Amino acid sequence: MFPRCPVGGGPVGAVVSGVRRPVRAFGLLLALATATAACGDSPAEVASVQGAAASVDLGAFDGTVRIGAALSETGKFAVEGKDSRQGYDTWARWVNEDYGGIRIAGGRYAAEIVYYDDESDADTAANLVQRLIDTDEVDFLLGPYSSGLTTGTSAIAEANDVIMVEGNGTSDTMFERGFQNLFLVATVAGDYTRSAIEALAARGAVTAVIAHEDTTFPTAVAVGARRHLEAAGIEVLAIETYPKDIQDVSAIMTKFRNLDPDVFLGGGHYNDAVLFVNAADELGFEPDAMLITVGPSNPRLVDQLDDDVDGVLGPTQWEATMAYEGDWFGSAADYAAYYQRLWGEPPVYQAASATAAALALHLAIESAGSTDTDAVRRALRSLQADTFYGPIAFDERGVNVAKPMGTIQVQDGRILVVAPDAAAVAGLVYPRG
Amino acid sequence: MSAQAGGALRGGRLLRVVGGLVGLVVLVVLAVLPLLSGTSNATLLTLTLMLTSIGVAVNWNLTGGFTGYVDFGHAVWFGIGAYATAILISLQPNGPQVGWHPVPAIVVGALVAGVLAAAIGRATMRLKGPYFSIAMLGTFVAVREIVRVWSPLTGGGVGLTLPPYLNRQLFYYVELALVVLLVSFTWWLRRTRFGAALVAIREDEIGAETRGIDTTRLKTAIFSFAGLSTGLFGALWAYQNTFVDPDIAFVEVRTIDAVMGTMLGGLGTVAGPVLGAAALYWLREVLWANLLDYHLLTQGVLLIVVVLFVPRGLVGLVDRRGASLAEVWGWKGRRRGGGAADRLTEEGLGDSAAAGPAGGDRDGPAQARAGSEPGSGAQGETAAGGDAETEALS
Repeated sequence: MFPRCPVGGGPVGAVVSGVRRPVRAFGLLLALATATAACGDSPAEVASVQGAAASVDLGAFDGTVRIGAALSETGKFAVEGKDSRQGYDTWARWVNEDYGGIRIAGGRYAAEIVYYDDESDADTAANLVQRLIDTDEVDFLLGPYSSGLTTGTSAIAEANDVIMVEGNGTSDTMFERGFQNLFLVATVAGDYTRSAIEALAARGAVTAVIAHEDTTFPTAVAVGARRHLEAAGIEVLAIETYPKDIQDVSAIMTKFRNLDPDVFLGGGHYNDAVLFVNAADELGFEPDAMLITVGPSNPRLVDQLDDDVDGVLGPTQWEATMAYEGDWFGSAADYAAYYQRLWGEPPVYQAASATAAALALHLAIESAGSTDTDAVRRALRSLQADTFYGPIAFDERGVNVAKPMGTIQVQDGRILVVAPDAAAVAGLVYPRG
Repeated sequence: MSAQAGGALRGGRLLRVVGGLVGLVVLVVLAVLPLLSGTSNATLLTLTLMLTSIGVAVNWNLTGGFTGYVDFGHAVWFGIGAYATAILISLQPNGPQVGWHPVPAIVVGALVAGVLAAAIGRATMRLKGPYFSIAMLGTFVAVREIVRVWSPLTGGGVGLTLPPYLNRQLFYYVELALVVLLVSFTWWLRRTRFGAALVAIREDEIGAETRGIDTTRLKTAIFSFAGLSTGLFGALWAYQNTFVDPDIAFVEVRTIDAVMGTMLGGLGTVAGPVLGAAALYWLREVLWANLLDYHLLTQGVLLIVVVLFVPRGLVGLVDRRGASLAEVWGWKGRRRGGGAADRLTEEGLGDSAAAGPAGGDRDGPAQARAGSEPGSGAQGETAAGGDAETEALS
């Protein structure tokens, strides 16, 4: 809309010059009337969505646990926002219909999730989370998508003493603020590459190079990677940063080729993975291991790059093939099948993380036997559960330290979990073919 | 003609008085609102964000509406104010270790934005029309990238976190007071020779310059003031958001909202940006809560309709003396600016009558006179023109 202003301004001005004032006024009134007519009586009523749980008869329950979530339905996080929402709704559907409601002190309580669209915008997210707390009076919050939005909204949750459990904001810095009400079921960005680096060190890797996009998440991943490389005794020969939406990485890869490291570690977005793999191939850069932050766990990359991507490693929060299992939803594969039935598509890890966040909250409420914030916070701190998503146990920061980050490797066109051992379904091939 | 014009002017005065009274009532309601027991923090945050939006729109209107320099990168000052404050306040594990008290940090944050606006404005304001607009858009993108790569100071892509001190009531009152001051300043500005000179620059910059107005100094001054003021809103915002990163502090939407809000309300008017930004914010609130899937589409269509039918904005419905974007850019019968500059320099008018575009209504006969006889008609037109100009200030 913005760049169109200059284009639209001229003709617009020309067209209306002959329009009389009453007609213009009528146009404005018509527009306002259209907007008002389109609106219902109660904003919260329409915005309050129980998602897939809408068909549940709430009368069959002893009460309702009201949970709020501001998610990105529109804007740059629309896709991940949709996945997160489907993840939350999967839990809501399962808990209300299959599990029979949240069990609190002998009663059965329905789960209701109130959603708003944060438009992938920080101000809107802050406003909506404050509204969820004050106006909708939710008992708990589930997190938004992205580290940036979670950092801002978690401060509001903290200031209002409302618990926020989340699975899709993993930047380490938000857990260094001493918050008592923020819990993350996923692995923090700083530990994304940990299991891969430990596995590579065990197989004899001694040197590495890092290239990362200079935005919140990839930087946090790279800072953590450097820490883990050094801890594992692997020497970091070079660190290069590059801007968002980079189109050519050949300069970086040429420099790296001349350093001849054992491990290349890089990434930021999906397209970066394509650029790195292609540039390495074209420039004859052949490290023993390529560990790329985003992309390798996506089947699209395998389709796109075919043999070139073989042997490439990537971190993953969760895969349906992981050997995790729990009393709720069953195994990772069972969860994937349940999700597929509901939404007609396989779950990506953002969806699984969202479901796991809601499940952790659910288990803590049951353990606490009430929806009291202090009791549930204590229950979350002492929670120890094995789930389809992996083990869940929070440290004093609120981070789930029980679940290691998974590592996948593309082997003969298949995406296989190779680390950690508890989740692995295949052995790590090193050096890559 | 004169009786008709007189009636219209009396009507305009009445409307202005009524508008002023309504404004006063709204202000009193806003002042006591936080003291009412039913007012939640959510309401206060919504209103604070609306006040931020209004503040940025009023600032944008100073250069975009009054001076005619349509700034497509105005949100850069918001981001700079936010970042400067965040750097001064934050104590990051791997970042800056300054740790100032919030009050001086916010003031210095705004000053940093003002000083940079003065430096950049001196260069970019030499450009005209769309060239200036695009240069400012470039400035916006460039500054965001500089912030992204200057990681030792700015925290780079990771950003900076601030202590979560969320006193909604305090921030609400601070921003309300700022907006009231800002609107009062704008209202006063339009009654000064400085304000009149700014309008003269919009009407005909070369004409204004040949009549002895130091256009470079004046337009850089107002541009710097707007930068400083928007930087102040950015500084306050950073503290409320408790987190800044390049993609959150420097968002294009903030400029778009300022442009849209001002156009909706009325370019180059005092009340326009306030009404427009408030209406836009309110509409978004309503649409977003009721049309979860279609609210952005509805908002877009609505704005297109409004801009199509009301190019001079809401204020233009009752007083068509503001400007449209096409006129500001000179695409559509820009009013001959000789009148404004002539009166400023030749008539020696007092502050009260100096402001306002010549003749105001382009379609009216007064405009034809001002256009055809910019020099000779000035004297005879002053009496009627004076009233018309005063009305244009509303």
